[in-house]
Amino acid sequence: MDAGFIKEFFKRNGVGMGWFLIIAVGFWVVVLIILPQISMFDFSFRNDLPPPEIGGPKDVYTLKNYQYLIFGADGNPDGYNKTDLAVFGKTLLAAAFVTILDLVLCYPIAYYLGQSTGGGMARLFVLLLIIPYWINEILRAFAFRIIFGDSGVINEMLMVIGIIDNPIDFVRENIALYAGLGYAYILLMIFPMYNVIESLDRNQIEAARDMGASWIKIHRRIVIPYAKPGISSGCTMVFMLSAGALAAPQILGGPSSLWFTQIIYQWFNQSVNWPQGSAFAAVLLVTCIIIVLGVMRLFNVNMGDIGK
Amino acid sequence: MKTDSLLIRIGLGFYLVLFFTYLLGPLVLMSITAFNSPSFPQATPWEVLTFEWFNVLYNDARIVNGIKNSFIIGFFTVILSVIMGLAGALVLTQIWPKIRATFYTIIIAPILIPGVVLGISTLVFWDRVNVMLGLPNDSFLHNGILLTVLGQSTFIASYCMLVFVARLQRYDLGLTEAALDLGATHTQAFRKIQLPFLAPAIGSASVLAFLASFENYNTTTFTFGKYPTLTIELAQKVRYGINPSISALAFIIVCLTVLFALVHEVRNRRVQLAIANGAPVGAVTSGFKLPKIFAGNPVAVVLALFVAVAVAVISYAQFYDPEPAKAIILQEKRAAQQLRIEELQRKLKDKRLQKNLKGPDIFNEGKSKIPKLEEKKQKTPFGSGIFSPNNLNKVAPGAETPAPAPKPASPFGSVFDPTNLNKVAPKE
Amino acid sequence: MSEGVGVDLENVWIRFGDFVAVREANVQINGGEFFSFLGPSGCGKTTILRAVSGFLEPSDGNVLIGGNNMAGFGPNERPTALIFQNLALFPLMKVWENIAFSMEVRGASAGERRKRADELLDMIALSGQGDKLPSELSGGQKQRVAIARALCAEPDVLLLDEPLSALDLKLRQHMRSELREIQKRVGITFIYITHDQGEALTMSDSVAVMKAGIIDQIADGKSIYDDPATAFVASFVGENNVFRGKVKSVSKDSAIIETNRTGNLRARISSDNQGKLKVGDDAMMFIRPEALDISTNDTSSDTRIKARVTHSEFEGQSYHVFLEGTEGKEMKMSLINRGEDRMYERGKELYLDFDANQAVALPAGELASE
Repeated sequence: MDAGFIKEFFKRNGVGMGWFLIIAVGFWVVVLIILPQISMFDFSFRNDLPPPEIGGPKDVYTLKNYQYLIFGADGNPDGYNKTDLAVFGKTLLAAAFVTILDLVLCYPIAYYLGQSTGGGMARLFVLLLIIPYWINEILRAFAFRIIFGDSGVINEMLMVIGIIDNPIDFVRENIALYAGLGYAYILLMIFPMYNVIESLDRNQIEAARDMGASWIKIHRRIVIPYAKPGISSGCTMVFMLSAGALAAPQILGGPSSLWFTQIIYQWFNQSVNWPQGSAFAAVLLVTCIIIVLGVMRLFNVNMGDIGK
Repeated sequence: MKTDSLLIRIGLGFYLVLFFTYLLGPLVLMSITAFNSPSFPQATPWEVLTFEWFNVLYNDARIVNGIKNSFIIGFFTVILSVIMGLAGALVLTQIWPKIRATFYTIIIAPILIPGVVLGISTLVFWDRVNVMLGLPNDSFLHNGILLTVLGQSTFIASYCMLVFVARLQRYDLGLTEAALDLGATHTQAFRKIQLPFLAPAIGSASVLAFLASFENYNTTTFTFGKYPTLTIELAQKVRYGINPSISALAFIIVCLTVLFALVHEVRNRRVQLAIANGAPVGAVTSGFKLPKIFAGNPVAVVLALFVAVAVAVISYAQFYDPEPAKAIILQEKRAAQQLRIEELQRKLKDKRLQKNLKGPDIFNEGKSKIPKLEEKKQKTPFGSGIFSPNNLNKVAPGAETPAPAPKPASPFGSVFDPTNLNKVAPKE
Repeated sequence: MSEGVGVDLENVWIRFGDFVAVREANVQINGGEFFSFLGPSGCGKTTILRAVSGFLEPSDGNVLIGGNNMAGFGPNERPTALIFQNLALFPLMKVWENIAFSMEVRGASAGERRKRADELLDMIALSGQGDKLPSELSGGQKQRVAIARALCAEPDVLLLDEPLSALDLKLRQHMRSELREIQKRVGITFIYITHDQGEALTMSDSVAVMKAGIIDQIADGKSIYDDPATAFVASFVGENNVFRGKVKSVSKDSAIIETNRTGNLRARISSDNQGKLKVGDDAMMFIRPEALDISTNDTSSDTRIKARVTHSEFEGQSYHVFLEGTEGKEMKMSLINRGEDRMYERGKELYLDFDANQAVALPAGELASE
């Protein structure tokens, strides 16, 4: 069967095209996706050695990089590496918060756009949605830094109105970060939902309304169940990207709050301990995968729905 | 029932306004700061219309170099990702069904893998390869451009793949069969039939890939080596101090994006209209029939307005000189500042007096609060930011004297960039 | 006629996993013949066509074109051209580029191609339309372009996969004669796939009737209609009244069938089954509606059926009378309109006569579902 498939493959594509496809896909899948990930995991189990000692007697596998994440450096009086673990937990929680924030923000818009008849206004809205997404991630974060700065528009406005006397430090309170992260991934939340809701037959809603269902009931019983693949696809993407975000926390994060990716970044760029950084990255990757698979199992959605 | 739906409509309208304010407000405000004269990007208070930040931007060698690197990396990333994404999509449509789901999971995974992980794994992997091949430490495998292209293509190819899969779903395999049947080789059938069909998708995948490459930070930050891209440079600037030249860049990018999006949309719309009217597409795309396009097409109207405004602004900038107005503002500000300082001092005195009059508990509390208050206020120039070095520059007419603060670790902490200081200082 | 290139299927089996799409097909198609595969959808006729054109290889057996075994030759290496069911005109190419595509891939110059395309456009009566896009043509015009494109490849065998199914009735009938006309003019072998018996019978020199992967009968249209080889063919091609029963007695070319409800009836044994029907076998007897006529005689006979009218229909050229025999056996009779009023009232009792030569006795078998 396998050989038959390969024969059929070359028959369908011809020899030249067939090889081209196999080489291009093979390069992508093996050399760019699989091998680097394996290599990173492999690296995370190694000692941090200077280049001449790599491959030498000291180059043995070790669990110490993972032990460090859990227990901290040797002789740590706390017993656990509270700082890093706390950052890790906080990152995941914050990412979940951003995901929920985006979901709540975007659902009405996705519903409105999906159920509108696609006239000029709706097209304009879609365009307006896309435009911010094309602007550089750094610049988007920068915009939020301007807005939420002490002399930013929001503080100025609140002070003019007289609600506050002194500027609120939005950055320290992480409000700027949440707003910025939520902003960055709005499109990734809206579009999967929009695509699904668009295909929902308007008559179903009409019928439900006809039978006297309230708006809440219509959404709970008809629209949301139908949009489930889109919702979970959007949530998955937003969660993964928020948890893996680096630029926004670097720019908008308060001095007291670190993002887990920032710690990884420090291991690579400041402490220059690659194996340690790889271990942290591996933990981030595996955790995210587990969470996403869990959510997909929970909502009974499969991989094919992602990226629609 | 009627009032109910009316309420919902009003609520929805209100929500839409709010939502799009959140979406577009930041971009608009950021753009405004590019034209305001204070050296800290701020939209309020409005001081003087100025175009100097565009000059600062233009003269910033790091930014210019970053743009160059971004284009080089973007170019190669587009080529690699489009090829791999196309091959992936083609294989996906014909792969043995039993492994299709697995294959799809593997090629979609890079979208979900955190960007930092992709950057790290790329860096680590090619370093390993380098060691295994016994190459020197500065071999081509450590070249920032190569690594960045490879790292970015890993996930950008997935985006391209999705674009191609969507297009391929509408492709009739019978067309390829027909071509084969008429004697074409497989390569000819692909090149003459399937590729032209995919051409629009290749176009959009390329644009998508370029944008994704251009704005990527998470992956690139690990792989760029000696070739920082524009995004990396921007991040450095934003992290270590900001000035409105970044706003100016943002403004340019926003304008280009809006322009591009509008043109694209209007063109789409025209083609669609043509198809709807049953007219041959060629007839509509060649001749430029303006009035017809505007009918029922708000996007086209917006585009026209946008272009008009842009032309007006650019021509205005040619002969506009903000300096006289700026000098006046500076005078006013100095006077206002003086008043404020006096007032503030009086207030502080009053407060201390008040606190002193109250009970010992409150006294303690108050004491701890006062320094905090001062510290915070420093940050608002319009409030009492008299102690901020930025404001000193602005306030003092003869600000040619370099800022007293030492240079930050990062030389591109732009606030202290000498060029910026020149811009800040009024010209003779 | 026989100067064209013939196609032979030798013991061809085509399987997809466990599913057998074509079972032991043996077909000889003479050069220059208009040959049709007729069968309901899903019977495997398109699969056979794909095996001839080279899109799939038979699991067993051989496909020969002009006597050469085609195993291992791809569709682009066979002297065949296929007209697809949806025509598969290249949407991004102009009409003339579509037509001359086969020359383009052979490397002919643009001038040559244009010249040949214009000739073919003249032939299909679409002169001057070469610069349009396929989407700007009507259904019938697209049809003709697809034919011209296939002919431009100068195939020895033209394969047509239900090319008329997307057209409306009028156009379909017009295209039938046009196709036949073109085939006569170019003189190459046509293999035509259809589920429409009208198309098959009017155009073809020979018809193969297929059912679930099996070819039941290969013959010219008249034989298929008048002398079906199986119960399936008898019921699929044209209308037929079926009488089930057992063989009561057999002679060389006729038999008496003891039907379940209508008594003993005499019928000719179809030529493929002569000598195969035995006394006591389960059998079926078929009488075409137009083979029935009203009898003036009311004595019982083995070529006479007594029935009661349920209703009558007038269809212009003929009357259709629906009747009910003993125990509710339904029958249909068609009478040519010769000016008499044949609208019989419900409940009228009639005796129907038929010529035993026009009734066919066959071994019992699966019928075509309505």
